[in-house]
Amino acid sequence: MTDFPKLLAALCEGGVEFILVVGVAATVHGSSRLTQDIDVVYGRTDDNLSRLEKGLGPYEPYLRGAPRGLPFDWSAATLKRGLNFTLTTTIGDIDLLGEIVGGGGYDDLLSHSIEIELFGKTCRCLDLPTLIRTKRAAGRPRDLEAVAELEALRDTGGA
Amino acid sequence: MAKAKHLMADDSAMQPDPVIEAYKRDLDQSLLRENLQKTPTERVAALMELQRLAEEARRAGQAARRK
Repeated sequence: MTDFPKLLAALCEGGVEFILVVGVAATVHGSSRLTQDIDVVYGRTDDNLSRLEKGLGPYEPYLRGAPRGLPFDWSAATLKRGLNFTLTTTIGDIDLLGEIVGGGGYDDLLSHSIEIELFGKTCRCLDLPTLIRTKRAAGRPRDLEAVAELEALRDTGGA
Repeated sequence: MAKAKHLMADDSAMQPDPVIEAYKRDLDQSLLRENLQKTPTERVAALMELQRLAEEARRAGQAARRK
């Protein structure tokens, strides 16, 4: 099970620039759907990659679903060479996304995010209209039911 | 202009979709209203409880299949 408070604390206390997106962002806006991991869009500056390395390092990030023993090096250099990382850690699963379809990267999304208080930490979460837009842009059939719920939340007056 | 592909200026993606509209008819509106009464922390805490339940159900199912 993903320990959301610990993962959030690792990112927030490490000063990582990130925005909650996808499933947990939907939960923040009132969705009742089950999600197993935490998805964030992270800033791609060198400083932020170093903060990510330090913040998550103690929790042994590793490629999710990959056999143990691969030469995966958790470092800012590795993050710089890639973009989107699907990871497992000792406190749960996390997807680090450099970009999302229909939304772009951290700098593009910053003005489409809201500040929230979560487990005593202040962090940023994609706003509801943008969450809906990115889900629609992804165009995955399995997302259509989630979009229906998000639009209903928007129409009900969700944040 | 590759960056423009990522931006969301195009509202055509927000047109009503018949499949999405069909799903809306079956939504539990009372559950959504209940969720909106909670704080974000309470909503994520409820998600963690749901994860615990799902894990326990999976474990019970696996145990039953081994018998």
